[in-house]
Amino acid sequence: MDDIGIFLQILFWGLYAGCIYILLATGLNLIFGVMKIVNFAHGEFLMIGAYITATVFLLTGINPYVILLLSMLVLIGIGAVVERLCFRPILGTGKLNEIFLSIGLIYIFQNGAAMIWGDAWQSVKSPYDGITIPVGSLNVPIDYVIIIGFTAAILIALFLFLKKTRIGMEMRATSQNRKGAKLIGINVERIDVISFGIGCALAAAAGTLWVVSGQVFNPYMGSIPAVKAFAIIILGGLGSIPGAIIGGLLMGIAENSAAFYLGGVWKDAVSFIILIIVLVVRPTGLFGEKGE
Amino acid sequence: MNFGRDELIKYGLVAILAIAAAFPLVSDSMFLLNLIVLMLISIIFASAWNLLAFSGQGSLGHAAFLGIGAYASTLIAIQSGISPFITIFLGATVAAFIGVLIGLTCVRLKEWFLAMVTFGFAIIVQALTVSVLAPMTGGWDGIASPRLVSPSIPGYQLIEYYAIFVITIASLIAIWYIMKSRLGLAFLAIRENELEARAAGVDPVRYRLIAFAMSSYLAGIAGALQIHHIGYITPELYGVDNSFWPITFVILGGLGTLAGPVIGTIVLTIIWEGLKATGLTFGRYVIVGFILILTIIFLPKGLVNLPERLQVWWKGRGRKGTVAEPQRE
Repeated sequence: MDDIGIFLQILFWGLYAGCIYILLATGLNLIFGVMKIVNFAHGEFLMIGAYITATVFLLTGINPYVILLLSMLVLIGIGAVVERLCFRPILGTGKLNEIFLSIGLIYIFQNGAAMIWGDAWQSVKSPYDGITIPVGSLNVPIDYVIIIGFTAAILIALFLFLKKTRIGMEMRATSQNRKGAKLIGINVERIDVISFGIGCALAAAAGTLWVVSGQVFNPYMGSIPAVKAFAIIILGGLGSIPGAIIGGLLMGIAENSAAFYLGGVWKDAVSFIILIIVLVVRPTGLFGEKGE
Repeated sequence: MNFGRDELIKYGLVAILAIAAAFPLVSDSMFLLNLIVLMLISIIFASAWNLLAFSGQGSLGHAAFLGIGAYASTLIAIQSGISPFITIFLGATVAAFIGVLIGLTCVRLKEWFLAMVTFGFAIIVQALTVSVLAPMTGGWDGIASPRLVSPSIPGYQLIEYYAIFVITIASLIAIWYIMKSRLGLAFLAIRENELEARAAGVDPVRYRLIAFAMSSYLAGIAGALQIHHIGYITPELYGVDNSFWPITFVILGGLGTLAGPVIGTIVLTIIWEGLKATGLTFGRYVIVGFILILTIIFLPKGLVNLPERLQVWWKGRGRKGTVAEPQRE
């Protein structure tokens, strides 16, 4: 393949990897925006979503893109329980406490999943495996195209939900001013549960897309993407959803270029190198107006 | 009233240390001796992490400094032939220097940015170790590290045990001294209210970096001791597990206290080894996770605070509303 072909290939991998990061980061952004909590265990919801999809798919053979909805629904429930039992009791006691609590959650979810599903790397084959469509000089697996389409659809649905529905507006009000929202009669604790649930559902969608793309997964896959998603929302500026989208795409492309040109070990490291550089040069993020 | 907590903990600490000191005299179990050595090293590591948290900075990647100290000490010892007793301090100095550099990226930012940067830094260092530095470090396979006390000396295990014991005590005394000094007060002031600390003439950036240097120095010592005790070093040392353990120990024992890391490490190690006997594998981590979360929610000041909590509960039983609910923002 010529140089441009390789470049296009990397760009496309990056686009696809970026989709997963965008979904994770948007979920985190939503939770952070409304509740102002830092949950490093967010990647575990991605992992659980991935396993639910894979398990249901292997048992029933239903199209995994349909299971995506089921996976999201289950994760809304799990997210609501985690919010209610773990985060609500410590709300307002400081960011560090939230981070420590999420470490406990990481232990529980990762090893709980390992007890159920074992800790080996697994992968499943999408029903569309092997089907490609030609784009310019390279053949793109149709799964990647579907994944990009699904991500766009989920983001548009989320956008409409936040702009048009009553609950969406209440969520935005809570994120702008929690006390003010309370004063005008919004049940902020209910909004917390809903936001956390939706955030987890987005993570589940990311996990499902991870699985159907044929990537390997195991119970420990979630912690690094979660921290990367935080890096992305800082790159994009806290609370900015367009920032998260651009940040996610940049991160996906940077990572895949690094993996290709420098070797696989740099895939994870490069995103944190970018994060450190951005924090040193521009602490408010690339598109952020002001720091949190 | 004042008897109780402080006294109890002080005597408890001394008692624990006395037991550890006398242990080899009453038992010749190599398994237990080894376990106590690793526990002492964990105490240094957890205390190092705790010192940083004491200044309001939470690191999620302290394994990076554990590993840097260990690799630096090993490489210096191999290249120069200097005794590991000296190189552990040189390795720790390297760790402290790099710790300050990492601290510099975040001192002016929000506390949780640091958590992310340190987490990522451990991954970056691991990537460096297995790629660019592989000719020196042996890559993923790791390299042999000189033992702290050469196995050719008779009774080397006992010498090593007491050497590590003395270093642990020295580290704890140093931390106690730091916490009591003006430096410790400055750390506390920054953690509690940065604005007021600034108003009182405490420069947060400077003191955060000092805390970072001290903490990564101690973490480096812990790493070097561990590696010279085991005799082999691999990049697994940088793993997430090693970053999370000290956090769990400290939270369980009591964040920001001298005794917290010691008590937390001992209690959790006993639980951990006890659970091993039941044959649990992944289940052990699940239980640790529950312990961590329950501690954060129900005993936010850790086990150190337990006597006081019990006292309050004992006095307040039968009456309602005596135990104040934690204030929400």
